[in-house]
Amino acid sequence: MNTRNKILTAISILALSLFVFYADRHFDIYVVRILNVCAIYTILGLSMNLVNGFTGLFSLGHAGFMAVGAYTTALLTMPVDVKQQIFYMEPLIKPLNAMVLPFPAALFLGGVLAALTGYLIGAPALRLKGDYLAIATLGFGEIIRVIFTNTQNITNGALGLKGIPAITNLWWSFGTAAFTLLVLASIVNSSFGKAMKAIREDEIAAESMGIDLFKHKILSFITGAFFAGIGGGLLANLLGTIDPKMFNFIFTFNILLIIVLGGMGSFTGTIISAFIITIANEVLRFLDESINLGFIVFQGKVGLRAVVFSALLMVVVLFYRNGLMGTNEFSWDRVLDKNFWLKPWLKLRRIPLRKGGNGK
Amino acid sequence: MNPSNLHSISDQITMPEQEALLTAAKITMRFGGLTAVRDFNLALHKGEIVALIGPNGAGKTTVFNMITGVYKPSEGKIYFMNQDITGVRPDLITKSGIARTFQNIRLFKGLSVLDNVLIANHLHLESGFIQATMKLPGYRKEEKAFREKSLALLERVDLIGSCNDKAGALPYGMQRKLEIARALATNPKILLLDEPAAGMNPREANDLTSFIYQIKAEFDLTILMIEHHMDLVMDISERIYVLDYGITIACGTPSQIQNNQKVIEAYLGVDN
Amino acid sequence: MTLNLFLQHLSNGISLGSLYALIAIGYTMVYGILRLINFAHGDIFMMATYFAFFGVIIFAIPWYISFPLVLILTALLGILVEASAYRPLRDAPKISILISAIGVSFLLENLATVLFGGVPKPFPTPEIFTSMVKIGTVSIQKLTFYIPVITIVFLFSLFYLIYRTKTGMAMRAVSRDHETAKVMGINVNLIISLTFGIGSALAAVGGLMWGMKFPQIAPLMGIIPGLKCFIAAVIGGIGNIYGAVIGGFILGIGEIMIVAFLPDLTGYRDAFAFILLIVILLYKPTGIMGEKIAEKV
Repeated sequence: MNTRNKILTAISILALSLFVFYADRHFDIYVVRILNVCAIYTILGLSMNLVNGFTGLFSLGHAGFMAVGAYTTALLTMPVDVKQQIFYMEPLIKPLNAMVLPFPAALFLGGVLAALTGYLIGAPALRLKGDYLAIATLGFGEIIRVIFTNTQNITNGALGLKGIPAITNLWWSFGTAAFTLLVLASIVNSSFGKAMKAIREDEIAAESMGIDLFKHKILSFITGAFFAGIGGGLLANLLGTIDPKMFNFIFTFNILLIIVLGGMGSFTGTIISAFIITIANEVLRFLDESINLGFIVFQGKVGLRAVVFSALLMVVVLFYRNGLMGTNEFSWDRVLDKNFWLKPWLKLRRIPLRKGGNGK
Repeated sequence: MNPSNLHSISDQITMPEQEALLTAAKITMRFGGLTAVRDFNLALHKGEIVALIGPNGAGKTTVFNMITGVYKPSEGKIYFMNQDITGVRPDLITKSGIARTFQNIRLFKGLSVLDNVLIANHLHLESGFIQATMKLPGYRKEEKAFREKSLALLERVDLIGSCNDKAGALPYGMQRKLEIARALATNPKILLLDEPAAGMNPREANDLTSFIYQIKAEFDLTILMIEHHMDLVMDISERIYVLDYGITIACGTPSQIQNNQKVIEAYLGVDN
Repeated sequence: MTLNLFLQHLSNGISLGSLYALIAIGYTMVYGILRLINFAHGDIFMMATYFAFFGVIIFAIPWYISFPLVLILTALLGILVEASAYRPLRDAPKISILISAIGVSFLLENLATVLFGGVPKPFPTPEIFTSMVKIGTVSIQKLTFYIPVITIVFLFSLFYLIYRTKTGMAMRAVSRDHETAKVMGINVNLIISLTFGIGSALAAVGGLMWGMKFPQIAPLMGIIPGLKCFIAAVIGGIGNIYGAVIGGFILGIGEIMIVAFLPDLTGYRDAFAFILLIVILLYKPTGIMGEKIAEKV
């Protein structure tokens, strides 16, 4: 990185910190919450992209790892009296019932447990490929959910957890997102990351180049699970309540939508689309409700928003398969290059010219 | 030796003063009911260039796949430097010193030319995952060495000019060269070339001959190759194995093979 | 456990297994021909039950006319899904096709929620299926017997179609190799459409009987049966129709028996199928009837 780019990067980080500082104090609670969700979805998207986009493993068990992280962090941060109160069907087992850890430690442990779960699932499942891997990871994700629903004395079963302290703020969410990006970008650019991309491109050739397929797949899988767990933990301490139903396949679908829209294999794309999807999710809320605009009453319908999102995924995959960014990443050189900004314009100009050729 | 009667020839080929680097002993590969290769014997000595020829579907690539661990032979054993490598995982076989190219070119098409070669260095990396992620000095040093070595290799094969291009965007001939460069980056002792001249015109094939000689000398290689360009094969190889329907029908020096009745029949068909 | 009770569980298992088998065939046919998990198959099954609801209850068409109409409509829906979501991606990377499959599945579920409402609706079961018969001391719904019989009738028609007709031969050819089939003068896209149509119609048969057995329909009702039937197809050896039938019965009977013998595990009933799937994938990924395909290098 040359000096100019270093300075530009430093300025951007400073600007982002100032923004968080300002937003934390002055923004309205609703907006802050949405920004928090944006950052958490960024973490979840980045981690899923490492596995699906960079390593080419089509894994659909992400919600399960989030659940592990969310429950661990929540149980380790909830005050003892709240635990006693909500576990009225069956008391919480020892030593969890009396254990309260500081948030960072709880979050980290959530990530570690999710990573461990990732190992336990990955060790058998990564022997499979393609759609078999997809269905097996989906199955494991569902099994985690069924287990969480049935282990009353640890997870409080279907009742879920309530009264989780609201510790997640913008500093936590944006800070963790930045940290996640830093670590994952570092992995992807390292020799290990290149090996992962080689596996995505051609497994047989990668293996013939001496790459231990299982080792690199499981490294990617565990790392993805770790950050999914961290994201889950942040989410639990943002929402305050969690239950097993929340972590169903629809959650994984949302993250999948983010990485597909952003571009499988582009972290930049994931960040952009995590914000787009989260904000669109709020903006389009009116579709599910009825709103009175004064002169006209818009009759919303429950599920309409979800229709829009599933249609969006279809449109992206059918017509813009590479998403917003393909496998490209943000770089100062590219953004500061005049041609970068001119190119789309030139493209637009050229299309009508070619079409106008016949006749007019 | 009577060239028209060459059963289990490789045993008879005499190079007694030197032990073979790579030996295949009666390897057989069956897919369901189909026997792709039967009782194939091979002795590859250090510094040799040996060719494996035969009509399409004769089982040549299957032999490569067994040697490199992609398939586990149904029967028989493979030894490399006196180690039994039968059924060992492909990445470990590459690590031990056998690299290959593919008949249908399997580059990492979406990655840059340089990355393709860098990836082939990864098996030599000593730093762990965490060290690499944290970019510790030890890792950086290794990374720098890989980079220099890869650039030198690309320079050597005249691909340095396109080192930032996507591998899939290269013209066909250059993709073949890149595949060889990538294989060389693993520091092999034996290089298996699967139809390196496929799709090349006679002049390019001719250039390839000298290129193979050069890299063999420079990198101290032993080469086993599958090839259909007979000029190239006769020119370059010291010994030739001929497969037909999975059976070794002949083995010997180029001149022996050229005059072998069975080989002529296999290629031209029998005239009754 | 008394013999009576056991027989009751067994007949339950057989009728559940029949339903699984019918739906699993759709997965296995599509996989055989496109090497694709049709994630939307469970949702096509769900749509069939809604078609029946609209036909019989809203439009008051007698069931013996409605139900055949449902089969036709569902077949058309399957063909439409293939043409819009899978055909444009025929040469795309596999991961894109899988994403498209997941997308179309979610689209159908959410569309159903918007169009039909999220609240479950009753299924219009014709009376002749609901009446009870008494065998000895146990009384069993007639439906329990009808389901396997209807399943067998459809299975035999399917086997006849696939192994005794020219169309069936074309389908088998396409499942081996698209290019070669094309060279032989087979209209590959037409055959693929037909495969989706037949698979979807069988899912509709399964859906109608499912609706009668569990007479409540909802937009998300297809997810779990869909996944389980896919699992049944994998257990039997995906791509193999006999395998799908065997897998369906193993899963159906197994599920009922586990709950019957080990009532403590009732909460884990839905996990049973997934655990079975993972075990099968790890120890015999080609399933019971599947053949091994080596990847070309």
